[in-house]
Amino acid sequence: MKFVDEFRDGDLARSLATQIAALAEPGRHYKVMEVCGGHTHTIYKHGIEDHLPETVELVHGPGCPVCVIPMGRVDDAIALAKLPDVIFTCFGDMMRVPGGDGSLIDAKAEGADVRFVYSPLDALKIARKNPDKQVIFLAIGFETTAPSTALTLMRAKAEGLENFSVMCNHVTIVPPLKALLESPDLRLDAFIGPGHVSTVVGCRPYEFIPAQYGQPVVVAGFEPLDLLQSIYMIMKQLGEGRAEVENQYGRVVPWEGNMRALDVLDEVFELRPFFEWRGLGFISQSALKLSDAYADFDAELRFDVPGVRVADPKACQCGEVLKGVIKPWECKVFGTACTPETPIGTCMVSSEGACAAYYNFGRFARSKARTGS
Amino acid sequence: MSANPPLQVDHESYEYACTVVDGCLTCGDVAVPVTVVEASQPDAICRDDHDQQGLVGVELVAPVSKGDRLLVHGGVAIARLEANA
Ligand code: SF4
Repeated sequence: MKFVDEFRDGDLARSLATQIAALAEPGRHYKVMEVCGGHTHTIYKHGIEDHLPETVELVHGPGCPVCVIPMGRVDDAIALAKLPDVIFTCFGDMMRVPGGDGSLIDAKAEGADVRFVYSPLDALKIARKNPDKQVIFLAIGFETTAPSTALTLMRAKAEGLENFSVMCNHVTIVPPLKALLESPDLRLDAFIGPGHVSTVVGCRPYEFIPAQYGQPVVVAGFEPLDLLQSIYMIMKQLGEGRAEVENQYGRVVPWEGNMRALDVLDEVFELRPFFEWRGLGFISQSALKLSDAYADFDAELRFDVPGVRVADPKACQCGEVLKGVIKPWECKVFGTACTPETPIGTCMVSSEGACAAYYNFGRFARSKARTGS
Repeated sequence: MSANPPLQVDHESYEYACTVVDGCLTCGDVAVPVTVVEASQPDAICRDDHDQQGLVGVELVAPVSKGDRLLVHGGVAIARLEANA
């Protein structure tokens, strides 16, 4: 299969692993953060860490959009879903994210009309077919996903569809990276940059990381060899004392991003002054809301939304996991009270969440052994 | 890969394509490579590498032609594949 098989070649993987090991300086520990949940998934599914020297540690970042949704926003979504004559639509993973009092799937079991869709454009179809209902789409995701919401809203506006609205939770990638770089909890050496977010935003937004923090960034694809090659490129930069943004995923990511998508985002969205991220707290200018031109389609303006802040359960350590401060298995409830079937925290819900990735691919046992606990 | 089913052009019969087989269902930083089989606008009919067909919004990468390879996320093409290879 093109774009897959050639990036899963075992001999090439072993050769890259040997080159990475050769670049690791004796006595030095390397901490590399993969920002994106898709990378976390690949790392555990394909056992990428098994190919790395003990001194090269991969740390999971905040790039799983489901994982960073705070509980209060889930409760707001449930409140909207329970309104009369509402069809509430969302991506499948959001259905199981626990709020302060249950999840959207619980609300559905109690009678709310909650439907999962593969695209916001499917939510628009539902709105066209149900003119007597209000159809709300729960928009989440980084700049990868925001263009599909933006295009959907442009079509809704062009059609004059009055029964469609969006509860917008889109977030942007650069502000949480800045927050992490300023965090005293964490000392990182480099970043594996998110591949598909960069398809839209390009590589330039990361240039502040080498310029201000002296750390390399390599934008990476999602196949095992993509990740190994990116780690090799990072190790090479570190070995040569360089810090630059490099693009390993050039077969998909243009350096400047998708200008048309950026224009569409500009038209439909504007930055929120601040937004709460699970585990990272409030980060200024880190999320999108609908622009004035699209305010008529803003579900939070059209309907009453409680907007109450809800604290995470005491046992939940998603915040530390999302900042890469602890490994998933170090959370006290990992694999016992918190499993993919009964998630307590968001990181156990999406298959891109670090906890779910560890749980599903059984890597936690090895990580425990590696750190000697 | 099995033989292609006969082409249907009734867009209403299609869901939007983004059925990720491997990884996050839809909402993460995961996107699906597809091939255009019917280059209609603003939605083209595309086939993924698991032989599933679906609609793809193509405004962000238009114009598209039959056989073009696109990267799709949330039912919308966000990049062309070969162009930057
Ligand atoms: S095990 Fe559950 S509660 Fe603990 S960090 Fe992971 S998702 Fe959060």
